[in-house]
Amino acid sequence: MRQQYAIRSLVLAAGLAFVGLAIVVQMIRIQNSTQAKIFISQGDLYAGEFRTFYPERGEIYDRNGHLLAGNRTVYEVGVSLSQVNDPQTLATTLGQYLGLTYEQVYNQLTNSPKSWEYVAVQDYVGEDTVTALQQLIQQKESAGDKSLNGLGFKPHFQRSYPENSLASNVLGFVTQDGRGYFGVEEKYNDLLAGNPVQVWVPSDPNKATEIPRVPNGTTLVLTLNRDLQAKVENILDQSLTKYGAENGAIVVMNPKNGEILAMATTPRLDLNNYSNYFSVYDNGSQYNRSIGMAYEAGSVVKILTMAAALDAGTVTPQSTYVDTGSIDVGGITIRNWDRQSWGQQDMTGCLQHSLNVCMAWISTQMGPQSFYGYMERFGLGHPTGIDLSGEAMGRLKVPGDTDWYNVDLGTNAFGQGVTVTPLQMLMAASAITNNGKMVTPHVLYSMLRDGHQYNVPSQFAGSPIKAETAKTLNQMLTTSLEGESSSALLPGYRVAGKTGTAQIPTQNGYDDSHTNASFIGWGPVDDPQFMIYVWLQKPNISIWSSETAAPVFSQVAEQTVVLLNIPPDAVRAQLVQK
Amino acid sequence: MQAQATQIIHAYKQAPWRVQRQYVGTFLLVVISTSMVAALYLQVTARAARAGREIQEMRLEITTVQRTNADLETKLADLTSTSTMESRAIEMGYRPVKPGELDYVAVPGYVVPEPAILLAADDITQFSQALPSEYTQSLIEWFDARVKNGGY
Repeated sequence: MRQQYAIRSLVLAAGLAFVGLAIVVQMIRIQNSTQAKIFISQGDLYAGEFRTFYPERGEIYDRNGHLLAGNRTVYEVGVSLSQVNDPQTLATTLGQYLGLTYEQVYNQLTNSPKSWEYVAVQDYVGEDTVTALQQLIQQKESAGDKSLNGLGFKPHFQRSYPENSLASNVLGFVTQDGRGYFGVEEKYNDLLAGNPVQVWVPSDPNKATEIPRVPNGTTLVLTLNRDLQAKVENILDQSLTKYGAENGAIVVMNPKNGEILAMATTPRLDLNNYSNYFSVYDNGSQYNRSIGMAYEAGSVVKILTMAAALDAGTVTPQSTYVDTGSIDVGGITIRNWDRQSWGQQDMTGCLQHSLNVCMAWISTQMGPQSFYGYMERFGLGHPTGIDLSGEAMGRLKVPGDTDWYNVDLGTNAFGQGVTVTPLQMLMAASAITNNGKMVTPHVLYSMLRDGHQYNVPSQFAGSPIKAETAKTLNQMLTTSLEGESSSALLPGYRVAGKTGTAQIPTQNGYDDSHTNASFIGWGPVDDPQFMIYVWLQKPNISIWSSETAAPVFSQVAEQTVVLLNIPPDAVRAQLVQK
Repeated sequence: MQAQATQIIHAYKQAPWRVQRQYVGTFLLVVISTSMVAALYLQVTARAARAGREIQEMRLEITTVQRTNADLETKLADLTSTSTMESRAIEMGYRPVKPGELDYVAVPGYVVPEPAILLAADDITQFSQALPSEYTQSLIEWFDARVKNGGY
């Protein structure tokens, strides 16, 4: 009996052990099956979420530390649908505060798909509105009213431009998707935006996660002087009204290092309302005419022709030319702007009276190979390489091009048939003020990242002419400007420069009734610290740049010397002596 | 006599109550060991959870401070914008200066300032240490690490 009981016990124990073992085996098998892996991966979906941490977009400052582009907090107003008690009250309140209709909000709250936990009612809501809503929620909750349950606010950054439209053509703008368009915002988008970091955030609060380091985007310091920019924009706007011009551009550059101190164009865009872009501009090239729109600038190009001729030894300042009022180049007769003959002129006289015939003679004396070689070395027909997006490169036809004719050698010499941007002219002319060395214009002064400042070095873009040539031409242009008692002159300061009045090409030849009025000038002549380019498009008070663009240059120069603390020549000489 | 004593000792060792006590003792040892391990595990995970919570709160605080900082900076820029400053200056009776109205004084040793160095405060987050492994590893991982490191 006892033995029989022992056997039964053993059998039972063995049976139970077998069942236990089978359970363990089954557990191991299930846990290592392919289905288990699917289950585990599905489970992982609910164990947390991948969250992307976006860095704060880098700020943009002017050279004196004034904020030009920053960030401000805005909110996404949304509702957690499962927590809603009273959709009618929520719809009424949100409609009232967010400027939406009751039906819009109510439909979102009640007709959303059942799987939705959350619905975003409106994004980019300002802080004032959200604060008012939060106060309302508090008031209601303190009174025991839960009718606004479910309402939530998610903060995030939005680009903000404290100066509104100031320097809008240089800055560009950032859309709601965080991408920069035009100007610095587009050119340096990757630097400014920084690198988003994606992190797995577990739902289980017991699992501590590593803090992701999301470095802010790089902060940029521009070469712009905010106060000068504001003054120049103001002068440009007033000039358009005064001279009846359609549009215009004024650029102020430091000719020694290519730093852009001010760059004003019209029209400008309020960057905080960039959605108006399409109502302000017809195409992207209008966004910044200084770099995006090439045009026939006319006589300002004569300074490059003269520089080339002097440098090549074709002429000297004392060389004379007897102007008969016309010259034949390539079978086409070229005449002066006033269709008059000016008799014997030296080279300074040719510049002072802006004689087309004299310039055409000079270029023919140089020959196409030499002339176009110099023009290419001056950068015509090539982008300047400025660190702004949307730069046009203009057009310089050269022998061999299908649309180049012999007469172009003559007309190109006085700026007809060749298109340039204001910035290309500034870059080319910088060789005259800078001992023959041409600077690359730029707007970025430095970058700030991780507590370090990286200054951007100035770059030279070659030496198209010799230092001696540059000095000679500088003196000739000063003399010619003073000789004609130009309205571009600035009392107390010696400045040099050249006007440019250019007819506007159309499909039916040149438009006789409208011109592009330009002026390029710099000062003080003995130590140039600013170089200014003025372009007025189709002024209707006068077609002549000497009566429109030249006085604008003087106005800009006056503000420039004040804001850059440049003493008058006499005072500067005294200060140097001391 | 000696054989009898050995017999008594043997009987004592094999007494049913003694065997039962050995079983109970072993069982209790297992229970106490398990409890100790569970308590230790609970303590470690509780600390990790508390640290995790603190980290989350600090992260939220950092984000809030960064947002406030950016907002204040933008508001300050609004208040000192060109148009605002110009209108304030005009209200206070100032007018733009003309070049001839300026006096220049030579200051020996004065160097024209370069564009303002706008270095912000050091970004401390770049130097922050990674979380110590004690906050993230399980007890088994901790034990495994200790075994691999020879107890250190």
